Amino acid sequence: MKARGFLNQLASLVVFAALELAMLYLTTRSADLQRIWVARAGHAFMGAVWGSSESVRNYFALGKENKMLVRENEKLQQELADAKERLRQLRIDTMRVNYHPGYSLIPAEVVKLSRGKQHNYIILNRGFEDGVKEKSGIITHAGVVGIVDAVSEHNAFALSLQNHDISISARLGTEGGSGILSWDGIHSNGALLKEIPLQYHYNVGDTVYTSGHSLLFPPDIPLGIAGEARVVNGATNEIKVTLFQDFSAVRYVMVVHNDALDEIEGFQE
Amino acid sequence: MAYGLLLLAQLLLSNYFHITPYITLTLLPVMVLCLPLRISTIGAMFIACLSGLAIDLLSEGVLGLNALSLVPVAYLRKGLVNLIFGPELFARKEDFSVGRYGFGKVAMALLLSLLLFLLIYIWADGAGTRPLWFNGLRLAASLTASFLVSLLTLGVLAPDPRK
Repeated sequence: MKARGFLNQLASLVVFAALELAMLYLTTRSADLQRIWVARAGHAFMGAVWGSSESVRNYFALGKENKMLVRENEKLQQELADAKERLRQLRIDTMRVNYHPGYSLIPAEVVKLSRGKQHNYIILNRGFEDGVKEKSGIITHAGVVGIVDAVSEHNAFALSLQNHDISISARLGTEGGSGILSWDGIHSNGALLKEIPLQYHYNVGDTVYTSGHSLLFPPDIPLGIAGEARVVNGATNEIKVTLFQDFSAVRYVMVVHNDALDEIEGFQE
Repeated sequence: MAYGLLLLAQLLLSNYFHITPYITLTLLPVMVLCLPLRISTIGAMFIACLSGLAIDLLSEGVLGLNALSLVPVAYLRKGLVNLIFGPELFARKEDFSVGRYGFGKVAMALLLSLLLFLLIYIWADGAGTRPLWFNGLRLAASLTASFLVSLLTLGVLAPDPRK
């Protein structure tokens, strides 16, 4: 009895579906509006069904996709490393353009740089094998960085300008008085230009250059901008200088060595 | 005989009653709902389908639209009757009437069958081109008008057996 009832219900459902489909077909055949509507609904349905099946297929293909992405990532990482190396070489080549007569220039990269101490130092990736000698200056396009103090086969140890043990000869403007420039010990970009005779007048904002008197650095390398001054012992000015060099961003430098240094030191002896 | 006359009345309504696009006046759901319960669901569906097609063919409507909307009413007819009037109606092998089951139950059955018919009819007739507010308003207006007209036919389609 139950089976018969179920069969009746099933037959009713089949007839119902068949009649509805037939009427829907008739409707679409007799009116364009309904034909477009049903066609659009059919497309939407098929799109949803195919979209879902495609999503499922994509999900199961994720493992393969991941392996491919890993390989592509490795390739891109390699290309990036190559590009960085080429860029590094280009930067070094660019620095070689800055030519100073009478000075040898050797490009180098900073391996280690100490900051935040009173006696800061720098280690470079070039040593005497590369032609680096003691008592060489270290410069960048933004000014003086330090002085080479000791050299090993492949590395050089230098005192940073941010070190109380070193000072360099500097000049106010292109024709101003010369004095001694050293770190102020407080600010990362602060320095003091000392022993400037009082007769030399200057304006706040004048550029401070290397004087060329120290034998370690070529002349006319811009170092920073002159600020306020104070008179020391009634005889000289001590001028605050804001350095151009950002010590936190030093990476590529140039080691400069005076070719006539040994000869001049020979005279002095 | 009464069914044929009402089909003729529906034909006249479909051809001549075009007061406003918001009202679709139909007697077809009440006619199918009030078919004798001894007629099987499949039989009722064929009757509904042929009735709908006849109206579609002889009026200016879209061919198949009335049949498309009326077949579901026939398919769900026994379930609806069972839900509202209870299974004892089938056990006693009798048809429902206002006199025996009260106006409320009959009106409820009538409203539900009209609602089903009009939902499909308005949805398919608009074919996705009409805004929802229009379809909603048309459904409400058509349901009210058709319900009132259908009530008039109950005396013929579902007479009280005690009278």
